[in-house]
Amino acid sequence: MTQVNKTNRRRFLQASLASSAALLAKPASAQEVVLQPARSTGRTIFEAGEYGMPSEFATGSRLIGSANGLHGGARTPLSESHGIITPSGLHFEVHHGGVPDIPPHEHKLLIHGMVDNPKIFTMEDIMRFPSVSRIHFLECSGNGEQEWSSPSSPTTTVQQSHGLTSCSEWTGVPLKMVLDELGIKTEAKWLLAEGDDSSRMGRSIPMWKVIDDAFLVYAQNGEFLRPEQGFPLRLLVPGFEGNMNVKWLHRLELSDKPWWTHQEVARYSDPRPNGKKVVFSFYMDAKSVITSPSSTMTLNGPGFYEITGIAWSGRGKVAKVDVSTDGGATWQEANLQTPIFNKAHTRFRLPWMWDGKEATLQSRTTDDTGYVQPNYEQLYALQSPIGMMHNHAIQSWRVQQDGTVINVHHV
Amino acid sequence: MSAHKTLKLIGFVSIAISLSFGALFASAQEKFGFGKPAHPDEIARYNSDIHTDGSGLPDGSGDVALGAEIYEYQCALCHGEELEGVPEMGANSLHEGRRDIKKLPYASSLFDFIRRAMPLTDPGTLSNDETYGLVAFLLNETGVIKDDNLTLDAKSLAAIKMPNRQNFIIDPASRFTAEDLQ
Ligand code: HEC
Repeated sequence: MTQVNKTNRRRFLQASLASSAALLAKPASAQEVVLQPARSTGRTIFEAGEYGMPSEFATGSRLIGSANGLHGGARTPLSESHGIITPSGLHFEVHHGGVPDIPPHEHKLLIHGMVDNPKIFTMEDIMRFPSVSRIHFLECSGNGEQEWSSPSSPTTTVQQSHGLTSCSEWTGVPLKMVLDELGIKTEAKWLLAEGDDSSRMGRSIPMWKVIDDAFLVYAQNGEFLRPEQGFPLRLLVPGFEGNMNVKWLHRLELSDKPWWTHQEVARYSDPRPNGKKVVFSFYMDAKSVITSPSSTMTLNGPGFYEITGIAWSGRGKVAKVDVSTDGGATWQEANLQTPIFNKAHTRFRLPWMWDGKEATLQSRTTDDTGYVQPNYEQLYALQSPIGMMHNHAIQSWRVQQDGTVINVHHV
Repeated sequence: MSAHKTLKLIGFVSIAISLSFGALFASAQEKFGFGKPAHPDEIARYNSDIHTDGSGLPDGSGDVALGAEIYEYQCALCHGEELEGVPEMGANSLHEGRRDIKKLPYASSLFDFIRRAMPLTDPGTLSNDETYGLVAFLLNETGVIKDDNLTLDAKSLAAIKMPNRQNFIIDPASRFTAEDLQ
């Protein structure tokens, strides 16, 4: 009895499957569609981890370069970055003596020299001051140093050529407000900022900049600084070369003259065509780069592509970005993502129909002081063909007929 | 909007503005009062920097022979027997190219850097005598001062005129003139 019933049921099922297949040819009524089964449940909420991590399929990671692990750095994956904010874990880093992780309750900031009342601040003291949050880029002045005289390689990626710039929201305390507590002596013209890393990184910073917009930073992108960004305290001198934004900040000394520290005279100084060397060249000048399409990418046949990239200036806001697809012969103004922040990455985008012929892509920014990003020829005249720091020349990417993109110098 | 309401609004806005820091305190003498006074001894423990006129240089002295010995044991591994640099260790040549010691504007920068940052793996361990000796050794090796018996201390180091000093120029954008920097 049971046996018979089962067989019947199977027959019925087979028959109904066959007829439902036949029904597919006609307009199906809703209940007859076989639904795609839902995804399995994935990981549980318990497995989420107390600090969220990116998908294992998400691409974009930093590129690390160091011989000994103590000095060197890691570059931001610009071609896989979107918008203007760099996630803290993808921010570039450069070190001269390793990365300490300092317990904040042990950290102190000493301020002395040409002040009326030298003082020591704990992190708790510093965080009691009224705070500000601002979006600023940070760029190592060595960004692009290998590209200066000639392209390092046709397959150099934008991460390799430009990955020593990143942009974050920083939170901290205006330094002027803290210094006013101590009373700044009128003779004070320079400030030594010193880090509590093994190399005791020291840089001289002009007081006018300190008064203008320097701030003591303890948070980045909504959370405390990462150790590699100077936890628990770093200096931010917006628009000035990365090295001056001293990390693990533990001492500030005011003086009437700069220190000419080894870092500022041997490393962070710029050769000129006449053999002279320029010191105290703090500003990171107006610069831009196309992040897509860029070297090592391949365009999948003629048609629509969005040209996109970032522009920034250490002297103010990005006023405009022009894009060329013919190596600078003609230019088109790109769309800028708003709002545009002062001394911050600014995203630009331009729609482009690729006709399948060789094209040389360039971007050129102008900041709100009117300064126009130079090409290599202009940069050599300005600085030196053997220069290394402050390479802010126009970058060229060549789209070849087969759709592959390479790194070239075009003027 | 009635005139009465407008007035109230203006009053509100002006209160908001006066709450910005400028007007937070009734007088300029009033402060937040955070932090504690730094005692001179505390300052002295951290205040290691040296100015170009030699102020800040510590007591002690060292000669080329002492420097050569320290160099051999603590520096040559990375910087090479002949100061040529060992790329695998990430160290540059100290006698040519961008890190050429001859090209430095002041000897004070060299003393300060070695004392604060070298040897890379164990900085802050060199004594003042050893640091003076290393500067004497490096200046002799690179031909800045050709004297195998050179001995340096605070006074003699401050008196050194580096041959490349006049080639350093000021970035006009730094808003400082050459005199400001002396
Ligand atoms: C473990 C390898 C290592 C050892 C040991 C070492 N150094 Fe260095 N040295 C370096 C590196 C790497 C740099 C570059 C540091 C930076 O990025 O600022 C450097 C930089 C220098 C510089 C400045 C030149 C430059 O490239 O910026 C001098 C001068 C120097 N070292 C002297 C010494 C002396 C003197 C000793 C021995 C007491 C020493 N070093 C030991 C690796 C080393």
